[in-house]
Amino acid sequence: MALADGSGSDEVDVAIVGGGINGTGAARDFALRGLRVALFERNDLAFGASGNSSGMIHGGVRYLSRSPHVTETSCRDSGYIQRIAPHLLFRIPFLMPLRSGPAARVALELVDAYFRAYDDFQPLKRGEPHCRLDPTDLARLEPGLVGALAGGVSFDEWGVDGVRLCVLNALDAIEHGARVYPHTSVESVARSVRGDERSRYVVDARDRLDGTSVRIRARAIVNATGAWAPVTAGLIGVPQARVRVRPGKGIHVVLDRRIANFGILSEAIDGRQIFLEPWQNVSVLGTTDDDYYGDLDEVHATSEEVRYLVQGVARVFPSVRLARAIGTYAGVRPTLYEYGRNEDALSRNHRIVDHGADGAPMVYSMIGGKLASYRLFAQELCDLVAPRDFGVNVPCSTHTRPLPGAERVPDAVETAATYGITPVAARRLVYRHGGRALRILERAARRPSELDVTCICEPVLEAEVRHVVREELARTVDDVARRTRLGLGPCGGMRCAARCGQIVAQERERSPAEGRLMAREFIHRQGLARAVALGPQQARQEALTFAHLDASLGRSS
Amino acid sequence: MISALDGPVAASAERRVLVVGCGVAATAAALAASRAGAAVMMLDGGTGASTLSTGAVDLLPWEDADRARSGLPADTRGALQALGGYVLDEGGTRIVTSAGIVRPAYGRDAALLNVGPLSGQRIAVVRCRRPGWDADALAPAWGPSFEALDAVVLRHGGEDVLPDADLAARHDESGRLDWLAHRLREAMSAAGGRWAAVVVPPLLGAQRARAHDLSDRVGARCGEAAGLPGGAPGLRFENARDRALAASGVAYARARVRSVHRCLTAWRVIGEQGQSFDGGAVVLATGGFIGGGLEFAPAEASLATALPASARRAIRLTLDASVALGAYGRPLEVSRSLFGPSPEAIARPFARDALMDRAGILANEDGSVPGSPGLFAAGDVVADAPRAWLAALASGARAGTAAARCLGRSLVTESAQSSLDGEPASRP
Repeated sequence: MALADGSGSDEVDVAIVGGGINGTGAARDFALRGLRVALFERNDLAFGASGNSSGMIHGGVRYLSRSPHVTETSCRDSGYIQRIAPHLLFRIPFLMPLRSGPAARVALELVDAYFRAYDDFQPLKRGEPHCRLDPTDLARLEPGLVGALAGGVSFDEWGVDGVRLCVLNALDAIEHGARVYPHTSVESVARSVRGDERSRYVVDARDRLDGTSVRIRARAIVNATGAWAPVTAGLIGVPQARVRVRPGKGIHVVLDRRIANFGILSEAIDGRQIFLEPWQNVSVLGTTDDDYYGDLDEVHATSEEVRYLVQGVARVFPSVRLARAIGTYAGVRPTLYEYGRNEDALSRNHRIVDHGADGAPMVYSMIGGKLASYRLFAQELCDLVAPRDFGVNVPCSTHTRPLPGAERVPDAVETAATYGITPVAARRLVYRHGGRALRILERAARRPSELDVTCICEPVLEAEVRHVVREELARTVDDVARRTRLGLGPCGGMRCAARCGQIVAQERERSPAEGRLMAREFIHRQGLARAVALGPQQARQEALTFAHLDASLGRSS
Repeated sequence: MISALDGPVAASAERRVLVVGCGVAATAAALAASRAGAAVMMLDGGTGASTLSTGAVDLLPWEDADRARSGLPADTRGALQALGGYVLDEGGTRIVTSAGIVRPAYGRDAALLNVGPLSGQRIAVVRCRRPGWDADALAPAWGPSFEALDAVVLRHGGEDVLPDADLAARHDESGRLDWLAHRLREAMSAAGGRWAAVVVPPLLGAQRARAHDLSDRVGARCGEAAGLPGGAPGLRFENARDRALAASGVAYARARVRSVHRCLTAWRVIGEQGQSFDGGAVVLATGGFIGGGLEFAPAEASLATALPASARRAIRLTLDASVALGAYGRPLEVSRSLFGPSPEAIARPFARDALMDRAGILANEDGSVPGSPGLFAAGDVVADAPRAWLAALASGARAGTAAARCLGRSLVTESAQSSLDGEPASRP
């Protein structure tokens, strides 16, 4: 599926492998500098770590003592992201309670001092300075906290929808001439026999959904495949040892609603820092960090990991046990390789590997990195590659130019009134699409049935489902869910998955059977992610979901 | 009603069957017991899976093929007849679902269209703005003989977002049916050609299925597609149940039951508000996970931080009764983890024949609970029972009949006992 360009040429300047935040961020930066870009993603945009993160562009307070420059760059770039996508960010105030104990006083002083240092970086991202809190303050701010507390601090972070951030970067790249191929796996990267510098590399890729093949000639190659980087290096033919990552699996547990006003830090049984955060209209518990040796396309949380998180958070916030866990998600961090340290001690820094030294000129790998500093990472790459390899001296503009929809963000309540939709739906729509929400509603206004709510839990309008298929490269029910959060609520897609499959099939002119298959695949995958967190509160819905889908859609595999 | 936990049992109560539950299994049990001559009282603890059904009458959770229609026992047929509003079609039933499939079923709610006998004929799918209803997606999904038809189905403002059940209730009025029939006839003649049938969203009546009435008025078969849970078929079930129970003289009380225990010669059922009911036999038809008869309760769920005091069974009955839970024909074991079992091992979609779909009360074929004479179980609360509408009805009918019979037997032994005690036996 080729988008934009129009030249029809199979030649590009840069071929990027990987549709996570690093790949889409680099695609946007290259495209804004006027280079021709093609991007290949084996699964969907944001399929890996980018779409399964904690959903924060946090300042990296954790890294302050070990690598303060990571904290500084994270904070600065967090500020830039606020500028280019204000609609996508939401403030998450955090509390860090400290339990009473012999060393509690000292600990509180240390924490206070630590966050005083962090306050220096806060203005970079419009963050509030921290507050030192006594036990009474804590009880007033968050009555659900239990246990003897010595006090604590509050600090400020920003939440973001990582999938949306990827999609918006990809969209902007497309709107500046890039071609983006999701669900397309690169099968080989070969030196061109023509030996012509203008088309040094021949990239052969195959669409994994319909089997069609794509051939692109590129002058430069960027490997931005995160935890998959060594695998990709093998395809490109550069030494895997040069791009080693240490894949670290992290899981999150999703609760059905916001059960706290604040994010709450807690300690897990092994002393690791974990948290509960209100995120969009759910709560999220995170996260684990464990070396991962499994299949990168099939990363699932296990019930043990879920118990580890729930137990750790319940220690300070016990009502998490009564809350309804409606799912989990899991991703694999592409941490820089080091042997012999524990996972939490690994650097979250990023590195650009120039494979010129490996006999592959103009081939680069982006290793490591984090969501909050993706833009800077992309800029560093483009600042290096654009002038040196292409003689392009256009300065970076990714920190000043708004992402699609961010130019003017409409008021959700007014929008709801104008188009006759519920304010809740309007708010979610504007959150995800900014000014483009109006484009979606404008089109739907001519076809009023598209204003129907397809997913009640989130909610998601039919018009938005159609929009993400038409405009945002969604091709399956999973893709729609990733972009809109359709079907990720308490009902597990019981009410919307089949309908979403029908809509995707209609929009893509596929058979109804294909739409049903997509719906079943989605339900199956989501079922696997929900079951590991199964508790008494969700079991009843789970039984109903499967009973209804058996009866109305047929028993899935 | 008797307030004390161990107060005396009224002699008349011993001749009564108590049915705990109000779904299809409970209703069948009540009707069958009543037909077998017992006095029956139903204790309604709120809606469950039956009210959430979408109108398919199945013996298995998923009917993947047409099954032989013979062999349905007489008491099951009797209960179905007494309930009314359901059809077992000669030659098989095929219903269409709003998820876009045509599927076999053993029978159907009478409002649903059976498209089985219409194969190859032209069937209209009305275009109308209802949640999740898109005739242009459904018609091609169901097959080449289905065609979307422009028709006015919604009459008043706001009906596009009205809940299914409320819209269905508006079609209990014959005036509205006349109006709808007129609109449908107009639409069909405007589109031209011959139409064998019309599929509408779930809206054909809340009190009763109005498909037949509408078909007569239109001159073509009309019926619903099966929709989402919580719609018109569930409401029609409840209304059919209430009529059938009233007609057969079954007494009724609203009570969510907390415990069932032996009290001298009878069974005593205690409600959450402390009400108590006595009976000679009790049928537990409280539903499975959906209905709230069973719950998943791993040990970890009950605690904040400490380790659970002891391991326990992760699946529980939601009321206290001396019954054994099991699955796959064996008793349920205590979990070997203090936190509870891994959901991966017991829940779909990890497990194929998941424990969650099998667990329940271990009961004999007739629903009697081993070791507890006079106690019966029916429907989704029974271990290894298929979680399906007609299967629940059949097990309810069996248990109701058996409960009524056991009542007779226990009365005999008991009157003998009473005579021995020197008290007059009070038999009718």
